[in-house]
Amino acid sequence: MSTETCLQTATELLATWTQESAEPEPGRVDVVIAPEDLIAAASALMDARWGYLTAITGLDLGPDDGRLEVLYHFACGAAIVTFRVRVPREDAKVPSLVSVIPSVSFFERELMEMFGVVCEGTPNTDKLFLPEDWPDGVYPLRKDFSMEQLDGQAGE
Amino acid sequence: MTLNLDQTWQSVLDKLRSWARINSPWVIHFNSGSCNGCDIEILATLTPRYDVERFGIKLEGSPRHADVLICTGPVTRQARDRLVRIYEQMPEPKFVIAVGSCALSGGAFRGCYNIMGGIDQVIPVDAYVPGCPPRPEAIIDGVVKLLAKLQGHDISTEPIVIGEPVADPVAAEAQETEEEASAT
Repeated sequence: MSTETCLQTATELLATWTQESAEPEPGRVDVVIAPEDLIAAASALMDARWGYLTAITGLDLGPDDGRLEVLYHFACGAAIVTFRVRVPREDAKVPSLVSVIPSVSFFERELMEMFGVVCEGTPNTDKLFLPEDWPDGVYPLRKDFSMEQLDGQAGE
Repeated sequence: MTLNLDQTWQSVLDKLRSWARINSPWVIHFNSGSCNGCDIEILATLTPRYDVERFGIKLEGSPRHADVLICTGPVTRQARDRLVRIYEQMPEPKFVIAVGSCALSGGAFRGCYNIMGGIDQVIPVDAYVPGCPPRPEAIIDGVVKLLAKLQGHDISTEPIVIGEPVADPVAAEAQETEEEASAT
């Protein structure tokens, strides 16, 4: 399959749940998907044997915007489809994809500790990269993180 | 005149110990968050090309058998406990050499959420070898200066700091040969 056909297949598969879509650069499609549709959309790609999940990344839009974006990147050859799932900063929750892709657990653990997004139903909620004595409620990749939050804790 | 045999024996034993220690510093190498640049240079230092065995230096796998801890990289919050544990497992007297900019101050990683800073934030350091990465010659210089200190040639308690590496070693070398040529 060429990159264009790959992307077209994905767009068709995801049409039911797509709220917005954009093409940030050739070979990439971004689709905005509601948190409640996430499992259904990911299953559609997986059931059709369309590529694999390469990474989950997060994006903090800042305290003014009040939202976090969770980005699920799927790749099939050179084609990349990204799910943009927008969640409120104060109550950041997404359903876990473990039922669809078991190995997603690692990505979700990283997402939880770095951005404080709760992945509901994920089997392991332990820290992945951060030390065990890291203070609760401090998320290093959020925009409002500062080193002062660590003072007197986690070492020094 | 009284002769305190115990004291005499003790001083002989001390001299012997010090002699043995200086002639066979076994080193252990620990990376507490380095990018591996310094580790590669340490490996290069241990090759026959630089032949550090002439100083009795030998890489040792276990901290329980090592005299010198060579640390590279900044200390990450995850590695801190491991570094302290390795340091505590080493028998007295023990010495620490921090190798590379990151081990000195945190370097490029300083101020990062998962970084404690340089090695001296966590354990006492006896010699600092700057460079990114330092050349094997600089690392050898650090070890040898540490040995000289043990030998009593340098009685200050200040830690050893090896001079900043030359920015462009090739140009410096060319200049040196030029100076030599003009001198002769």
